[in-house]
Amino acid sequence: MLSKTRGSLGLALVAALGIGLVACGGDDESSEPAATEAPAASEAPAGSDAPAGTDAPAQGATLANFTPWSADAPVIDCRPEEGPLKAAWIYVGPTNDGGWTQQHDASRQAVQDHFGDAVETTYKENVPEGPQVLQTIEDLIADGNTVIFGTSFGFQDAFVEAAAAHPDVCFEFATGYKGADNLSQFYGAAEDTDFLAGMAAGAASPTGKLGMLASFPIGEVLRGVNAWTMGARMMNPDATVNVVWVNSWFDPPNERKAAEALIAEGIDTLGQKGIDSPATGDAAKAAGVPWAGYNADQSANYGDVWLTATEYDWTVYQIPRLQAILDGAWVAGNYYGNLSDGFVKLATFGDLVTEETRAAIQAELEKLTAKPNSQFTGPINDNKGNEVLAAGVSHTFEELMSMAYLIEGVIGDIPAG
Amino acid sequence: MRSPIRFERRLEQPKWLNWAIPVVSLIAALVLGAIVLLATGKNPLDVYGRIFERGFAGTRALSGSIKTATPLAFTGLCAAIAFRMGLINIGGEGQFYMGAVGATWAGLAFGGDLPTGAVVIVMALSGMVCGGLYAAIVGVLRAKFNTNEIITSLMMNYLAAIFLNYLIYNSTSYWRDPESRNFPAGKPISDRADWNFYEIGGIKIPLAFLIAILAAAAIWVLYKRTRFGFEVGVIADSPKAARYAGIRTTSTIVIVLALSGALAGLGGAADVGNFRGLLDSKGLQMSGYGYTGIVVAALARLNPISTLVVAVLIGGLTNAGFALQGPDFPSGLVGTLQGLILFTAVAGEVLVKYRIRRNRRIAAVAA
Repeated sequence: MLSKTRGSLGLALVAALGIGLVACGGDDESSEPAATEAPAASEAPAGSDAPAGTDAPAQGATLANFTPWSADAPVIDCRPEEGPLKAAWIYVGPTNDGGWTQQHDASRQAVQDHFGDAVETTYKENVPEGPQVLQTIEDLIADGNTVIFGTSFGFQDAFVEAAAAHPDVCFEFATGYKGADNLSQFYGAAEDTDFLAGMAAGAASPTGKLGMLASFPIGEVLRGVNAWTMGARMMNPDATVNVVWVNSWFDPPNERKAAEALIAEGIDTLGQKGIDSPATGDAAKAAGVPWAGYNADQSANYGDVWLTATEYDWTVYQIPRLQAILDGAWVAGNYYGNLSDGFVKLATFGDLVTEETRAAIQAELEKLTAKPNSQFTGPINDNKGNEVLAAGVSHTFEELMSMAYLIEGVIGDIPAG
Repeated sequence: MRSPIRFERRLEQPKWLNWAIPVVSLIAALVLGAIVLLATGKNPLDVYGRIFERGFAGTRALSGSIKTATPLAFTGLCAAIAFRMGLINIGGEGQFYMGAVGATWAGLAFGGDLPTGAVVIVMALSGMVCGGLYAAIVGVLRAKFNTNEIITSLMMNYLAAIFLNYLIYNSTSYWRDPESRNFPAGKPISDRADWNFYEIGGIKIPLAFLIAILAAAAIWVLYKRTRFGFEVGVIADSPKAARYAGIRTTSTIVIVLALSGALAGLGGAADVGNFRGLLDSKGLQMSGYGYTGIVVAALARLNPISTLVVAVLIGGLTNAGFALQGPDFPSGLVGTLQGLILFTAVAGEVLVKYRIRRNRRIAAVAA
């Protein structure tokens, strides 16, 4: 090794460190994918009517939209022998991502405030999907945590493995589908608020040419894109939505570029689904184009262009679940929240949303609160001209979860798969 | 204004510097870290105690550190072997991905039929071939057209990432699980294709780490004890002299880059065989093993044996970092501590080669 190569080695090292930093900023994808295969016992997990499984143990009776995996699912006691109940959250992204992980951490803090000294919460952020997840879970358990929340789809297999290895620890997982005696799944009907946000966007668009950034072509995101488009076309039947796949949950520089490209093509109103950061809003703000966000209420920061957004309230699920542990009544199961229990809600309206539009949205909000997912009722055609639902027919819960088409009015394709 | 100090190249490098500098670097890092910790209201002794406990104390911590270290050992060796010849291969990341692609193919294709031992060998070879060929492209471009390998190897990382996304998200490829309708995921290889863990003195060691030890020993022998290794050394010293001496520099460039890529590819195979059990497009891209491997190799001063030791150190620091963070300990502070340790280690390297002198003329003028 000689001086010549030393110099370039130093250069390479600097380059590598720089790339590493960029990677840290760019690849911390928070995941919020598919709530998937409907659990066996949840014909109608949505709805304000009594959930299936009210006859099951305590938990099913107290928490709407929750169904134990089975009627004889065992009660897991993960209370500590002494001291506060220790609960940990594992995040794939940074807690200041301006969206998904930030909202999860806000929920953790709200849980902490609610329970005070009875519960002690902690979190781990920027945990990369892969072997590090199991390592982190083991570490948390060694620290005395007996409740572990996971918030990225890519953590699921590690959670399944950990749940099998630690039958006395309660595992709670957002947006997956695999269950166990001590592993629950929770998510909810964002497609309903996406529909309402789409209405605001459709009404705000001067020319009816809307654009949307979407993360991955998976059931949950396709539901959102379709519902948003449906909402926009309810306000403007000629509206179209150009969809761009970003292939990431969190990649602000790319999101911004994609949004700018849409604007350059003549798109005059923007939306996003499965995209965690408000980078789309930055592009919209720079161009003065109305924008419907996702995940977080950004009305304060993007006042000029803000319409509204889907927001999640994870505490609706998490507070009763931790209470159930403290009461010695926790069973594992599946939860799919909606507007009626407040799990999903619409963020503050921006000034661009007119009184007339607000009234129209309010009317639809009441319908969806009473009957979640009812916007997916025929006649519905896909964007290739095929009939998906005949007049008056609705999707089953399973069909909703595994949606694999783009609705009429969407300009774009589902990448092969 | 001239700087009051200057660096002067050491004419001789005393042996004691080789151990004294790292020790002093580590102490400097701990002191600097302690200042940061005190400023943020933490007790440095508690924090250091926890880093040691969760990274290195006991069989559980060491098992975890070795597990985290395994991919870094391969990417570290990948960087070390190329850098020794003055070839700056930044492409370990992409070569690791391609190795994972190749090994997953082998695991899926043969996992059901062959006995485990044979599957492991086929997966490892397949990973090495894919990673090696991918790096050889960079080598050919460098050897034939004298393109800058830093740029091409870096760019090929992005290509490999896009290729992974294509295989899992944007196509119905052989690697994608057809059952994953709702969220695209890799197809799991069969249990028979799973690589073993061995328990040695209570520490769980992945088969892949044992392979890394063998690989490091082989590289050491190759560079210290063979004619090929000698020629690589001559080319690194002076490519012109090497050419006058009749050494075939072009083919050596391609071979060394292919070997470098094969090591990263072997790491990719280990990632699939020992840990993930499928091609994990998103997880791989989030992990950044290839880039961390460059840091590992640099800290190990490109010595293959030290590379393994440094990989375990970084693995332990990584795990301890996750153990540290929480509501009262932001991950930014964890990153600062880890960064200080790496920074002082690299900065200390300078002192092996140079010594610091006061600029007397300035001092005289000032007086």
